[in-house]
Amino acid sequence: MKLSTKLVLFITGSKLAVALLFVLSLPFLVQQIASQFTNYTLREQKKKVISDVAKNGVDYYLQGEKNFGSYTMLKEEYIAIEQVQPNEHIDTIKNSQRVFVDKDTLNYRILSYTFKNGNQNYLLEIGKATSSINQYNKPLQRFALYILVALIALTLIIDLVFTRMLIKPLAKIIRTKLLHRKFPFRTPLEKVKTSTTDFSYLDESLVLLLDKINEAFAKEKEFTANVSHELMTPISILQSKMENLLADEPLSEEVSLRIIEMMKTLDRLKKISGSLLLISRIENEQYVKNDIVKPLNLFNDIIEEIGHRLQTQNISLTLNISPDAILKNVNYDLLFQLFYNLINNAIKFNIPNGRISITDKQHENNTYELKISDTGIGIAEDQLPFIFKRFRRTNSTEAVGHGLGLAIVKTIAIYHQVEIEVESKIGEGTTFKVLFVK
Amino acid sequence: MKVLIIEDEKTLAYEMEAFLKKAFYLCDMAHTFKDALEMLGINQYDFILIDLGLPDGDGLDILKQTKKHNPEAACIILTARGNLEDKVIGLDLGADDYLAKPFYLLELQSRMQAVARRKFNINVELLALGEFNIDLQKRLVLHPTAEIELSKKEFDVLSYLLLNKNRVLTRMQLSEHIWGTYADDDYDSNYIDAHIKNIRKKLNVFGTTDWLETVRGVGYRIKHR
Repeated sequence: MKLSTKLVLFITGSKLAVALLFVLSLPFLVQQIASQFTNYTLREQKKKVISDVAKNGVDYYLQGEKNFGSYTMLKEEYIAIEQVQPNEHIDTIKNSQRVFVDKDTLNYRILSYTFKNGNQNYLLEIGKATSSINQYNKPLQRFALYILVALIALTLIIDLVFTRMLIKPLAKIIRTKLLHRKFPFRTPLEKVKTSTTDFSYLDESLVLLLDKINEAFAKEKEFTANVSHELMTPISILQSKMENLLADEPLSEEVSLRIIEMMKTLDRLKKISGSLLLISRIENEQYVKNDIVKPLNLFNDIIEEIGHRLQTQNISLTLNISPDAILKNVNYDLLFQLFYNLINNAIKFNIPNGRISITDKQHENNTYELKISDTGIGIAEDQLPFIFKRFRRTNSTEAVGHGLGLAIVKTIAIYHQVEIEVESKIGEGTTFKVLFVK
Repeated sequence: MKVLIIEDEKTLAYEMEAFLKKAFYLCDMAHTFKDALEMLGINQYDFILIDLGLPDGDGLDILKQTKKHNPEAACIILTARGNLEDKVIGLDLGADDYLAKPFYLLELQSRMQAVARRKFNINVELLALGEFNIDLQKRLVLHPTAEIELSKKEFDVLSYLLLNKNRVLTRMQLSEHIWGTYADDDYDSNYIDAHIKNIRKKLNVFGTTDWLETVRGVGYRIKHR
């Protein structure tokens, strides 16, 4: 589940719980408020009666009678004054029942208060029916529920918008720093703008991490370049010495052959360092990609270069490339090297009288595909993931090549942001698809 | 022909000298930037071989100096830097050729010959080879009765052997000259043999090719006059 969804769900849930609690406790609250308000009213009424008595004397109410009593039409309220024993002293507010002459029994909240007037002690009672106190409960509860639900709905929308805004930097960090990042990370990373410190911390950590990866990669590149480069001079010296030695005639045949063997070994060393150097130069972006290449011409050039190799095993090659196809912003020499290596492999690992076919295809999604298929010995499925690794010879039955041919292919492909797909079956052949995405 | 070898690796410089001496070049050597400038100040050379990676200066600066003081000299840049920019800058500054280390001394000598032919207008006429004549300019093999068609690579092999006649060329020297330094995955291939076979087959129709010798285990040689 998305973080923003989770947040909104949690916030809404907790809000609903609080609102429900509030609505459920509303009767109690209303009762509390109502009873306090009732107490207040009763006391105010008491004050008025006491002040009236003080001003006009108790007879103002009694009118010569011994007791006084009065109630409203539906007996919601009543007031009574009666004489009591002089030593009695009461001042309370409590709920109690009163029975009327017509046998009507009602629940009241009653204020009882004793006061003196002249020599007499009087008890004042003011009552308010409790049913009238609780009458607002139900509608209040209903309205409160409506309003709260409406409020929750409103805040839900605000929460949704706000959490979206809050989470936005996270999505941006993931998008810019982690998703679809092509190695090596060449473009400098921009800080994602956010006022949330957690996000900026995450962002900075990621930038730091990517920098470290870049640094490690740069070190490896530098190391490869340095080693290969430093090897070139000693190789040069050895090679020249052997060449001079071989030119010193007369040499016995045996000695000549030994020198040749040494030169062959040196040649191998030279090609390995040369290939490593080439890889590191591509990785260091020392090649400019501004050539416009016609694949048909490119393949014709390559075939002219290595076509003669087909003869040794009588391999037939068919070239079916549309003459209009054009590749822009590429490096001709590197593409030459890429397809040279693929075709060379197709020849090398083919069977006598085998076939190689080179075709192209323009896909609808702006992808241009070049396909090289052979009828060679094929690659085992469990070896396929490793064929582009350096010095990994999957066809190790015989010592052919130094194991860098496909590593070079891969490096050139990455540099040109070209996809390579391989399909292969032992004994049936191998197909390489090179996909140029515009 | 007088050659100045500017190379800080003394061993390599001596090997170059030894090889070129056999081809009757007169060689001077300079191992530092300073020495090189001094020698260029005193002497005039036909060829200057410049290693770019000198300890006390940039070889490209020597190239600039040479163009001032000894403009008719042919300059060949030698470098282990393998930097493509160096090649472009070097050729822009007037270098006649560029060789990346490690190179075969034979290749160096052949490049020097080619530069000399171009620079000093040495017109190579038809080179006779048994019953055949080779036209290097038009890249043709001629026989009194016919014009023989060789593929581009076959002609390259034949002419390279011919230009270095009476010398055994190894398969590696030939390969590197014909195919250059494409990072080839093969280090022991017999593709040169296939070419030689084709050349013999095509020429044998018209005449004998016993001048083209196979030197067992080593390579090939054109033995001629």
